[in-house]
Order: sequence, then structure tokens, then C-alpha cells
Amino acid sequence: MRICARSLLCLLAAPAFLHAREADDEAIPERRDTLRTVQVTATRRLRDTGLQMTRLDTLALRENISLSVADVLTQHSTLFIKSYGRATESTAEFRGTSPSHTQVLWNGMRFNSPMLGTMDFSLIPSYFVDDATLYHGASSLAVTDGGLGGAIELRTRSSAQEGLRGQYVQGIGSYETFDQFLRLSYQSGRHWSANTRLSYGTSENDFRYTNYDKKVDERDAQAGIVRSYHPRERNRSGYFDDINLMQDVAYNDLHGNRWGATVWCTTSKRGLPFLSVDYKDDSDFKNEQTLTAVRSVATYDHTASQWNIGFKAGYAHQNLGYDYHTTRADVQTDITRSRSYVNTVFLQATADLLPAPGWMLTASAATYYNHVRSWDRSPFHIGDNFDTGRWEGHATAQLRWRPRERFTMAAVLREDIYRTDMQVPIPALMADYLLVRPWQLTLKASVARNQRYPSMDDLYYKPGGNPDLKAEKGFTYDAGLSWHRQVGGYEVGGSVTGFDSYISDWIQWTPNTKGFWVPENVKRVHAYGVESSLNASTPEVRGWKAQLTANYAFTPSINRGRRVNSDDASYGKQLCYVPRHSTNFTVRLTWRQWELTYHWIHYSERFTTTSNETRYITGRLLPYYMNNVAVGRRFQWRNVHASLRLAVNNLFDNEYVTVLSRPMPPRNYALYLEISPLWKKHAKH
Amino acid sequence: MYASARMSNLCMLSVALVLLAACNHSSPGLSEEDFSHQGRGVFILCEGNFQAGNSTLSYYDPSTRKVENGVFQRANDRKLGDTGQSITIDRGTAYIAVENSGIIWAIDTETFRVKGQLTAGQTEQHMINPRYVYVSNAEKAYATDLYAPYITIFNPTTLAYRGYISTAQPQAYGYSNTERIVPYGQTLFVNCWCYSRSILVIDTQQEAVTDSIVLSSWQPKAMLLDCHNKLWVLTDGGYGTDGSTSSFSDNVPHLYRIDAATRRIESDEPLDTDEASVEMALNPRGDTLYIINNDLYRMAVTDAHLSVRPFIKAPKDSQGRRHKLYGLNVNPYDGDIYLADAVDYSQAGVVYRYSREGQLVDHFRVGINPSCFAFK
Repeated sequence: MRICARSLLCLLAAPAFLHAREADDEAIPERRDTLRTVQVTATRRLRDTGLQMTRLDTLALRENISLSVADVLTQHSTLFIKSYGRATESTAEFRGTSPSHTQVLWNGMRFNSPMLGTMDFSLIPSYFVDDATLYHGASSLAVTDGGLGGAIELRTRSSAQEGLRGQYVQGIGSYETFDQFLRLSYQSGRHWSANTRLSYGTSENDFRYTNYDKKVDERDAQAGIVRSYHPRERNRSGYFDDINLMQDVAYNDLHGNRWGATVWCTTSKRGLPFLSVDYKDDSDFKNEQTLTAVRSVATYDHTASQWNIGFKAGYAHQNLGYDYHTTRADVQTDITRSRSYVNTVFLQATADLLPAPGWMLTASAATYYNHVRSWDRSPFHIGDNFDTGRWEGHATAQLRWRPRERFTMAAVLREDIYRTDMQVPIPALMADYLLVRPWQLTLKASVARNQRYPSMDDLYYKPGGNPDLKAEKGFTYDAGLSWHRQVGGYEVGGSVTGFDSYISDWIQWTPNTKGFWVPENVKRVHAYGVESSLNASTPEVRGWKAQLTANYAFTPSINRGRRVNSDDASYGKQLCYVPRHSTNFTVRLTWRQWELTYHWIHYSERFTTTSNETRYITGRLLPYYMNNVAVGRRFQWRNVHASLRLAVNNLFDNEYVTVLSRPMPPRNYALYLEISPLWKKHAKH
Repeated sequence: MYASARMSNLCMLSVALVLLAACNHSSPGLSEEDFSHQGRGVFILCEGNFQAGNSTLSYYDPSTRKVENGVFQRANDRKLGDTGQSITIDRGTAYIAVENSGIIWAIDTETFRVKGQLTAGQTEQHMINPRYVYVSNAEKAYATDLYAPYITIFNPTTLAYRGYISTAQPQAYGYSNTERIVPYGQTLFVNCWCYSRSILVIDTQQEAVTDSIVLSSWQPKAMLLDCHNKLWVLTDGGYGTDGSTSSFSDNVPHLYRIDAATRRIESDEPLDTDEASVEMALNPRGDTLYIINNDLYRMAVTDAHLSVRPFIKAPKDSQGRRHKLYGLNVNPYDGDIYLADAVDYSQAGVVYRYSREGQLVDHFRVGINPSCFAFK
């Protein structure tokens, strides 16, 4: 009874402490069999002064080959992921802002589409990311501009293990889903390292579901209804076929110089699922998105005792296609056909200087040149949407100062220029104070201005693009506590942060009377709330070990913009598709070679209209709960390590949607077999 | 021992969380609501948002001034679909073309219950996105289409597919759209909106396109026949927004008057360009034309030009911002004018009801993007 009461107390108390784990060190916990063991220390890095950031656990990124970064963020962060289902567009929203307010960097290069301004996280397999750090709110200014909600930094790392290593993962899942992943890594004498990753995922993704949006009437000869029922249907046109190949290579001369290069190629073909209210026959139509992308970054870093310098150069090409046409034999009808070609060139130089103890100065300059050619054919437009280039320049100076051992402060100043449009300088101030040393209880606070320049679609898209758009402007401040304690193998940590943000000139696309959409600076949004996290782990006791991570976010995001007219009921209402409450937790239990992982995810109701209508069933989406469980076993033989893992997604077979008229899969299963051969050199160890 | 107790706690916590997690909201399964609305009434079709599947149908009783929203779903326990385009009433049945769902619903105008439906899959692939329905008689109805180069023919009583009329038009930039149907004797006039300047002339005996009228302005969007058998056609002028060559056409809407018998264009009047004209309607006698051109204008069908001063000014707020009028129709039974305001296109729209003299009688909220009215 006492145990039960304690458990319930823990259960009730959990949401108050929730938030993703903040890494206050460089170390990353990894799986014992294939990844190096890490030591967690609690050193406060000067570089991280005042930053509200979350580093995603490597275990989360490596849970299974089917996961995209969108899935990992859903399970392990306070971000809201708006997803249309597996292998369909998934965007991330920090702190009640929009997807375009989440900036994404890949190995230092901006990853958001310069054309759309957003990032589709479903296109990033989690196995292709070695390190993912989330910068919340003002903290994003430490890495990029435009992150009115925050920024996500994704990195790849070369192998840190000597010799040749291999890993192959085979996944087989429901709906004819097959995932293959191969990784080969090599390090020679600590100088050279190379890493090759290849993944191939295919699926029919034609799950069956009860379609509550339709009803079939069976009628008798007099046309009277005999019986009505909601039909069982299959997800139509939901297939996907994704291939990713990544190669990185690095050379370290062990005298402070390091050269590296990473190239990542993607080719993707994805059917766009039909709406649940679509009565057309999918065999008559092709509704498909294709993507061919190449991204590459080359780096040079020199590290000295008092200073570092780094240079980056990158190039990205993306060819995005969308085809929706009938496949009838007699007449070919293009409903929509669009192509966009995006080319980006990127250069960056960064320098860190430690002029005196407790001081750190960082300066960086970056430039991008984006060229987009976009054309389409639709009922509203024929021909080039636009064919133009845009140059961007970014400069940042960051000064960090630790006047006392417990107190650190930082100032950031950014200047951005787009074409000839010089932006107002962006300042940010951050500070932290160590309150209780044994608990590493630290008070953090930051305040910043920020702005996001319109995307190229916003400005140039024809018809509708608005070259007179202004940058969206934000002002945000936050304060919070983080803590971490390790006693006798038990470890507990967490954070609670309150934030308050004001965004003006929010860009919104609205249809004009001719039917096409036009962007305008119309909204003013007040987003505020709390983000929290809790993580805890036990030492190994009789072969048992437990780990808990939990996150909770309270994110009211209120429209305070001018009313369109006196009938406008959106003032003071929550933004569309932004939940007020987001919660998730992951429990991981291991016993000897066995492992059980349990995920629980919850989003509160989301409104689909700006006036938060609840009179219609389509006015809101019901609260969403998701339960996923996986059980696995590791095997260790002399020349090979292996693991077998069974995952059950949507354990309780919930029927749900995350976006109107987009059904999601019922309970489904996947089996993963991982094989890591131990070749000669390290098999001896 | 201490460690074991903690481990037990963790296990218990896990079990408790799993039990909590098992709680969930079930998916909606609504019962069918009974309606019985006899007498006069107004159906308001709300488009909803494209790709959201949230089109809805509202019903308004002009005598009691009571509005019922979402009646299709409430009466039938199913969604109306994605992008409701038009509603047409004939002999106690309302035909609702839901464009992006590829379906035409037939519902009872008193109970709102579904009597039948015609789906894209039933039409031997001749219907894709239905736009407008014209019921010729109890056995024959026509449906136009945004994409298909056919006009679908079906039985409006049984909703059975009967055949099609090929528009026999060369695709304009790949499109072969047909929009509204106006009957004149044994002729049907059908305007082609998408990248077109044509009005097709269809012989209902031959069930074939026999002629066409070519306009000087692009994209005829609305079409009516007045009491003098004059065809009024409103174009939107295409999508030229900045004069560049990559934009389509010149963006200048035109109002045409065409003699239905001779098919000769009798007048051609360019309209304001700062906002496209979206709709027009005739009064019950068919001798007065109403047009949305920012504000609402009224003109006798015998007038040479649209009046300079608006009949009803679009309401403005305290800061002078004008409501965007999105839909218009005139009640053929009492002459009341119904105007729809889409507000920000993502919330419940508002309908304004004016008397024939232009006095505001009522206003009420409906669904998202109210665009089409039908009267019984």
C-alpha cells in the first residue's frame, strides 16, 4: 500500500518536473553493446551560458531504423510535431509558434528550405543523425537567426572507434514495410575516419481503418435504408520509397587541425494519401511527391589552447516534384504538376577566443546564396512561379563572461542582410547562476529580440507572393531552473522554464477572392507558458536497470493581432493546430540482455479554426494519446553482436487523426534484426 | 534492500502509467439527428478549407430567423466532404457538389437526410471534381467539372450515371474546365472558367457542343439569364497580379451582356480590379442584377452600365476595413438578399440578410467560407 501510494505520488508529481534532458556536458549515453560507454559529468560549459537547450539522447536516435527525427522529437521533446502520418510531411513547432519559426541546422548549414521556410522532419532518418540539440526560444540566437520558436542543430560524427566496424539493421513491419540500414565505419590510427550509411525504406502503408467520415447506406428495392455503417477502408496512396546515402570522412593531424566532409544524398518517392472524405478511386489517380536532394558540408577546424577557428563550406541541391493527375487511358488530365529546383551555397568562418580566464569571445560570419526555380501547372497558375536568387549575409558576435564561479553571463549580437535589405541588429542577453552546487541547481534566464525574414515563396511566388512583406519580429524572455544529481549510481535531473514571447508581423497566407493565396503581415501573437523535463535512472541492481525521461509543455499561443473586421472572432484565441498541453514520457527497463521501452505521448485538443469553434465536429481535434512499446534482446557472440527487437506502435489500437481528414494507423508491428560483426581487430578485445 | 524498494516503486509507477495511458478518447461516432424543416428555408453551403475536409451545410429559417449549422453531418453522421462547391434545389432534393471529394450528394430538403450520391468512381471516370449541377427534369441532370473534359449526365432521382457530353474543347493550358449551366430552350450555356474565354453552347437533343461564344476577357466565372433572355457573364480576368509575363492574363474583370438567341455580345464593361468580382445574382423577377464588386451593386438589366454608387456598402469596422464579401444570392420567394463574409477564411463565416430595399434584416454565423445559397 505504501509502495502504491508512493508510486501514485510520483505519478502525480511527474508533470511538474517534465522536460527533455539538458546536456550539461559533452558526453552522450550510448548502448553498451555497440556504442561506447560514457561518463556523465556536470561541468558548466562557458559556451552554454544561459542556454535553454535539450540534447536528444543517443538511445532515442538509435531506437529503431523506422524512426525519423520527427518521431524522435515527438517522443522525447516538448515540441509539437504536426504530422500527416508516416512518410508524410511532419513539421516541428517550438513554444506555440509556427513550423517556419523552427530553424534547423545540419552540420552548421541551415537546413530549412529557403523556398518554403520550413523543414520536413519526416525526411530525416534518425539513424543519419548522431547528435541533435534543441535550442529553445532566445537560445536559438546562439546558432542562427529566424528561430522565433527555437532552433534544432543536427550533426553527424565520424567513427570514434578504431578499425573497421559494421552494422546492418533489417526491419519488417506491418503494411509491407521494409527498412534496411547499413553502416560501415573505419578509423585508422586516430588520423583518418570514414563513415558510410545507407538506408532503404519502402512501404505500401495501406493500413485499414474505420472511416467515421463516411457512412454506407444499404437500401432496399424501394430505396429505404436497411442498414448504415461506417466503412472499413484502407489508406490510399500512402506508399513510400526512400533511399538515403551518407558518406563522411575526417582527418585529424593530432596537432589541432581537423578536416572533414559529409555528403548526404536522398531520393524519395511518396504517395500523398487521399483524404478520408475523398470518394475518388485512387487507381485512377497518381498523387505523388518526389524528392532528389544532395547536401554536403566540408569543414576545417583548428584548435589551440586559447583560440579556435573553423571554416565551413556547403552546397545543397534539392529537386522537389509534385504530381497529381488522372491516369485514365483516353485523356490525361494534369490536376497539379509542380517542380522546384533549389540550390544553396554556404560559407562560414567562426573564431573562438579565450583572452583571459572567465572570458570567451566568439565571432562568426556566414553567407548563403539560394537560387530557386519553381514552376507549376494548376487551376490557378501556369508557368514559372519564380526563378530567382537571394544572397544572405549573417554576422554574429558573442561575449561570455564568468565574473564569479557561480555566475556567468553572455551577450549575443547578430546582424543579418538579405539581398540589400539590412535587418535591424538582434541583441540577446543570457545569464545563469549556480544556486546549489551538489544538485547543480542552476538558474537560467535570457532575453532577446529576434526576427525571421520571409521565405522566397512568401516574397516571390506567383501568383500571390508579396514582395512588400516585412520580417516577422519577436521579443522573448525566459527564466528557469535546471538541476542534476548523481548519488550512488542513481541519477536525476530536470528543468522548468517559463517563457513569454511576442511575435508581430506574423506572416499568414490567406486566399483572395480569385482563389489563390496571398501572404500578409497580419498577426500578432502572444506565446507564453512553461516547458519542463524530468529524467531519472537507476544503477544496475541484480541485472535490472530503469530509466525514465519525461517532458511537459504548456503553450498558450494567443492571437493578439488586429481583427480582420468586426466579425473576426479570432482575437484572444489559441492558434490553429497548437496544443496547449504536450506531454510525453519514456520508460526504459533493462534486465540483463533484455530491454523494454515504453513511450506515451499526449497532445491536448487542437483547434482547426482561428475562432476555436467547437460547434462543429471539424472545429477541433480531440486530445491525442499514443502508446508505443518495444521489447528487445541483445545477443553477444564471439564474432558478432546482434539484437532482435519487436515494436508495437499504437498499442491500444486507438483510432485517431492528427490533422483533419488524415487517418492514422491502427496498432501495427515491426520486427528489427540488428547485426554488428566484430572484425578481426576489435573482436580480440 | 533500499535499491530493491526503489526498483519496485519504479515498476509500480510504470504499471500505473501504462494504465493511465490506456485511457483514451474513442473516435467520434455520432448518431443521426432528426430534422423536419418544412416550408421556406435557406441552405448555406460553406466550402471549408481545401484539403481539410471541413465543408459544412447550414440551414436558415427566414421566418423564425433560426440557424442550424452543420446539418449535413448531424443528420447523416458523415462528413459533407472537402470543398463544397455548389448547392442546387429541385423538387424537394438538394444536390450538393463537393468538388475535392468527387461526390454529388442528394439530400432531402426537409430532413436533410441523404437520398443518394453520385461519386467519381461511378461515372466510368468521366467525373473528377464536380462543380455545378443543373437538373433538367426528373430523369436527367448535368454536372460540370473542374478538371474533366466532360459534362456528366445522371438521373437525379436514382443518382444513376447515364453518360457524358464531351466538351470537345482543346485543353487550355492543359485544362478543360466547365462551370455553370444556364438553360435556354433546348440549349445549355456552359461557361469555361479555368484558363478559358469560352462559353459553350450545348444542344440537349444531340447532347453535344454545337457552338461557343468567345469573350475578350479571361475566365468567365458566373453566368445568369435575365427576364429578357439576356445572358449576363462575369469574368475575373485571370491572375495577372503585377503585369509580368509569368502571370496569367490582365486581372481585369468584365461584365458582359449577351443575347441568348443570337449569341451576340451586346455590352462589355470592365470592373474594378483591386478585388475580383466573385458573384452575381438576379432578383425574383429577373429584371435586376446584383453584383459583388467590393461592395454590392445593383442595376436594372436594361441599364447600360453598372451604377456608380453601391447599393449596399460592404460593412466596415471602426478602422475602416471592409468585410470581404464572399457569396451572394437573392431569395426568389421574397427578394431578400443574402451576402456572405468569409472573415479570415479560417473561422466561422457570417451571413448578412438584407431586404430587397437594402435594409439589414439579420446576420448570423455559419461554417467556414460560406459561398453558396439555395432556397426552398
